[in-house]
Amino acid sequence: MTYFISGGAKSGKSSLAQNLTVALAKGGRHYYVATMISTGGEDDERIRRHLANRDGMGFETVECFCNILDCLQTADKDSVFLVDSVTALIQNALFPIEKNYKMDLEAAGCCADGLVEFAHTARHVVFVSDYIYSDAERYSESTEMYRKCLADIDRRLAAVCDTVIEVSAGQPIIYKGELCI
Amino acid sequence: MILIIGGAYQGKLDFAKDTFGVTDEDVHICDGDRIDFSRRCICKIEAFTACSEDPIGYFETHRQAWQDSILIMQDIFCGVVPMGAENRAWRQRTGRLAQYLSREAQQVSRIFCGLEQRLK
Repeated sequence: MTYFISGGAKSGKSSLAQNLTVALAKGGRHYYVATMISTGGEDDERIRRHLANRDGMGFETVECFCNILDCLQTADKDSVFLVDSVTALIQNALFPIEKNYKMDLEAAGCCADGLVEFAHTARHVVFVSDYIYSDAERYSESTEMYRKCLADIDRRLAAVCDTVIEVSAGQPIIYKGELCI
Repeated sequence: MILIIGGAYQGKLDFAKDTFGVTDEDVHICDGDRIDFSRRCICKIEAFTACSEDPIGYFETHRQAWQDSILIMQDIFCGVVPMGAENRAWRQRTGRLAQYLSREAQQVSRIFCGLEQRLK
C-alpha cells in the first residue's frame, strides 16, 4: 500500500505517518528515510526531537538526501518505508548545497521521477509532504519555482498512491482510498 | 455556476478540463479589471480582484453572464496577514468574493494535490 500525506506545519502529519508505518509493518521491518541535511544547531535540535519521537517504534534509519531509489541498495524493498519528507528531498535536489544552492531544475526532475518509481517499487510507502500553497505572499522567483516543483511531485504522488490524506489539527481528511488505522 | 477553489499549483484548471471537458479555447485567464464572460471557464479570478476595486459589484452587474460558468480562484487566505496594505486589501476583496460566489454556486469543489473535495 502507498500513502501520500500532506498538510500544514505542525498539523500532526508526521505522527500519523509514523503510526501508520508501524501498523503497516505488522511487526516486520520498517525504515525511516532520513531526508534532511542538517545546516546547524536548529536542524540538529529538530532531528533530535524527531529521533526521540520515533524512539521505541522499531524504525531502522536509512539516510537519503536526493535520489530515493538509492535506499534500495541497502534496504529491503518488501518492507515499509516512511519518507518524511518529500519537501526536503525536492529542496535538496533543487538547491544543492554542494553547488552553493544554485537552482538545479534537472536534479529536481530526477528526484521527482525517482519518487514516483519508488512508489511503484517498494511494497509499502508512506510519503509525507508539506502544503504551502494557500497564502497571499508574493515570493521570489526561486521560491516560486520551489513551490511549483513540490506541487508537481505532490500531484504525481497523489495520483499514484492508494490513499491520499490531508492532516489538519491532527485529524485526517481522506481524499482517496482508506486509512487502515 | 461551478466554483473551483484551491491553493497554487494544485491542478484546478486540469480538474475543470478532466471533469467538465473544458478546452483551452473555453478559458479566459484574468489579467485586468474586466472578464470575458463569453468563455465558459474563468481562471485566475484572484488576478481580476488584484485589479478591480469592487469585484462583487462587477460580478453582480454581469450576473446573467456567468450563471453557467466554471469559475476558478486560488485560495490565498491561509498565510500570515500580508505586510503591505495593498496585499491585505487584495486578500480581503478576494475572500469576500469567494464567499459571494460560493453562496451563488451550485457546486463548490476544493482541489488538493489534484484531487477533489466537494464543499457544496
